[in-house]
Amino acid sequence: MSLFWIVIRQLAEIEAMATSKKVITREEWEKKLSDVKIRKEDMNKLVMNFLVTEGYVDVAEKFRMESGTEPDIDLATITDRMAVKKAVQCGNVEDAIEKVNDLNPEILDTNPQLFFHLQQQRLIELIRNGKVEEALEFAQDELAPRGEENQSFLEELERTVALLAFEDVSNCPVRDLLDISQRLKTASEVNAAILTSQSHEKDPKLPSLLKMLIWAQNQLDEKAVYPRINDLSTAMLEDPAV
Amino acid sequence: MPSASYSATSQRPSDLLSRLASGDGEIKLKALREVKNQIIGNRTKKLSFLKLGAVPVVAKILADDVVTNKANDNNRNNLIIQSAAALGSFACGFDAGVRAVLDAGSLPHLIRLLSNPDDKVVDSAARTLRMIYQSKLAPEYNLSEQKNIEFLVSLLNSDNENVSGLGACIITRSCETIGEKKALCDAGVLSRLITLLNGSLSQRDSSLESLATIFNGNPDAISKFVGPEKTLSCVIELVKDRYPRTRLLACTCLIVIRNMSPCYLQDVGIATKLIHVLLELLDDPGQVGDEASFVFSSLISHKEDLQKLALENSAIDRFYNNLQKVPLHPKRLQGILLALGDMCSTLESCRSKFLSLQVLNLVIDALNHDTADVRTAACICLRSVFRSIKNLSAGRFMNETVVIPLIQLSQDSCTSVQVAALGAISNIVVDFTTRKTTFIQCGGVKQLVQLSTSMDSAVRSNALWALRNFIFLADDRCKEGVFSQLSASLLTRLICDPEPSVQEQALAFVRNLVDGCIDFIDYVFAEDGIILNAVGRQLQSALKAEIAIQGMYVLSNVASGSEVHKEAVMHQLLPQVDDWTQSYMIKFLRSDDSRLRIAAVWAIVNLTCPSYLGAYGRVVKLRNGSIVSQIKNMVNDSCLDVKLHVRTALRQFMTFGDCSI
Repeated sequence: MSLFWIVIRQLAEIEAMATSKKVITREEWEKKLSDVKIRKEDMNKLVMNFLVTEGYVDVAEKFRMESGTEPDIDLATITDRMAVKKAVQCGNVEDAIEKVNDLNPEILDTNPQLFFHLQQQRLIELIRNGKVEEALEFAQDELAPRGEENQSFLEELERTVALLAFEDVSNCPVRDLLDISQRLKTASEVNAAILTSQSHEKDPKLPSLLKMLIWAQNQLDEKAVYPRINDLSTAMLEDPAV
Repeated sequence: MPSASYSATSQRPSDLLSRLASGDGEIKLKALREVKNQIIGNRTKKLSFLKLGAVPVVAKILADDVVTNKANDNNRNNLIIQSAAALGSFACGFDAGVRAVLDAGSLPHLIRLLSNPDDKVVDSAARTLRMIYQSKLAPEYNLSEQKNIEFLVSLLNSDNENVSGLGACIITRSCETIGEKKALCDAGVLSRLITLLNGSLSQRDSSLESLATIFNGNPDAISKFVGPEKTLSCVIELVKDRYPRTRLLACTCLIVIRNMSPCYLQDVGIATKLIHVLLELLDDPGQVGDEASFVFSSLISHKEDLQKLALENSAIDRFYNNLQKVPLHPKRLQGILLALGDMCSTLESCRSKFLSLQVLNLVIDALNHDTADVRTAACICLRSVFRSIKNLSAGRFMNETVVIPLIQLSQDSCTSVQVAALGAISNIVVDFTTRKTTFIQCGGVKQLVQLSTSMDSAVRSNALWALRNFIFLADDRCKEGVFSQLSASLLTRLICDPEPSVQEQALAFVRNLVDGCIDFIDYVFAEDGIILNAVGRQLQSALKAEIAIQGMYVLSNVASGSEVHKEAVMHQLLPQVDDWTQSYMIKFLRSDDSRLRIAAVWAIVNLTCPSYLGAYGRVVKLRNGSIVSQIKNMVNDSCLDVKLHVRTALRQFMTFGDCSI
């Protein structure tokens, strides 16, 4: 992204000048910022990339109409992907698996780790619903063979089955598996795998750009005092405390 | 609330199978989907459905609907999509499944579906075909037929990613000979692959893979590819790509270019970058990490400068760190062991690093691995490390923890393990210390002698190789021990083995056997000289220079002995035919191979050593046989060693004062 390199170049210039911390006033800073030209199309692409990757299909459609930015992926596929993600988030794992397989049977056939995690999530849901016998049967039939193939799967399986040993799971050391965060983790893993299978990057570009911004500001802090962006949600320049 | 439930009985494979045969399309479709969802990602299920004969049933549904679905109705298309997907899953990474799908005759139907108007049908068929063509069991795609090439080009040109990916996959799997590669280039495949390099993730990956295939052994294609456009820098860029698989494939492609064309990518910068990227890829937990070490090997194998560079970039440390992560996938372990073997194949500095890190113990552990490929790789790695003369001389390797497992592996049920274990033993027994007894006490010699009668020629040859090294510079007790176990008659049989590699090792064994003390020469005269006669016979019919060289050194070593020994050699040299120019001696002296000329001249030098009484008579015989004049012609031989020995021989001829010479 060009924005990033502009910041870096400025950093380098400042570094060359400063021996002690240089003070940059708001006027100087804003002037420098306004010298940087960023194409609106690039900004729009960045936004579209975020919407598509995160799966906001309606917003993406609206944004496409309003800004004329073409998404780099067929928006219909986002709906399918979101349906899978939502199914996992609701604990409806079997349904999610069938949907992934309809989308592209290769995903789970070539990604044993993801397949295991989905099956593990299915086991967790059975346990959550108190279906102990079914859970045991499922673990034995479906998960145990995977554990034989892979040592780390076996360890995870053992951890999961440990949930059954506790009547009151709030005492169970592996109770975090029952957290909603576990579903979200599995859901995001599926989401990423589908995106990759569609030749799409699995993470949106925007968060990594913001990370770069924070990194660049931290670097700059060592050398200069300048109006900083502290709150990323407002992106307000805050005057330096001189 | 979600309704999580599981019941194995309601989904029993046999019930599903009977529903697949239902006349009701609805029931059939549901059963198909069910089968598909059960087998995807699940090897165990694939196997149990396979055993029940599900594949032919699914294949029949596909075939029936392909044939009857002229109207292209939706339900039928769904049946096609689901059955193709199920067949694809059976074939995914599962050879038994591929075979079943092929046996069921689905291939032509799937190919026909590629021209279906429904995109989803095409996707499904193309994916399944790709699964099939990724397997070694897929039928050879005949690239010598023009219509097949045209079809392949049409696949590559498709806008559908799955279809163009299939085209690339067929190239990667089926394009082997240089003729096929040239035909593909002539059909314009190269430029299409270059376009795909800028395509989507999967198109890029399959393009890189196909390019590497086409470039292998084909420098012309490389220069066309590198040509005027900036395609090479595009591949170099991809080495830094965010996707590990793409990085790996880009490295593979560049390494093929580097290995094939000495004019591209030779600078240290790019080599260092490749080494770094590949070593980093080792940390990838998946298939990419498994394959990275194999690609690394292809970069450094047989290249001393790159091995040095890799050592400087901590390659051995990185491999060592990865070896310590247990449990390792067998493929990954195999790759790391082979890479370490390549690293230690030439440079002592690499071997020192290897030994200082205590990697040796981990490799010895791998000798007991369940997977044959891993055991083989561990032996190959050890063979390289055992080349360290410094450590061999110190007797560092000849101990029971190393020797016993190797001797055991030499009887492994898998031949490749046996051969590799014998390779490692061959190097370890070149032990200059008195520790050879350790090997005998561990039953090593007995085992090697037994293996020299193996049905497999590679095992015979390597067993003899090990014995040959074992008796190298050994004392008489050692030689006597080996010879009595091997026996003159077996040795004779091995010299006349149908396999040239065995003949060569057997002759080399005799050469080492008679080398040294004059008493050793008597071994070849055992049982009325059957060994020496066999050597003579082999020399007469030797087709390979390597065999002739070893045979000549046997004669040369025997000729260094007493009068009797020398006369026996003369007897072997005397041609069976009257015409001396037809003799093998003349042939060898005129050989293009300087190693053979050296061996032949050596024998003459030993035969004509003037301090022996019979020397004069032998010179006369050799002169009558035109050998003396032949040697005179070699006085300015292009090989310095030959020249040196020729001059020694000529000087010896002169001592008999002879103007006639």
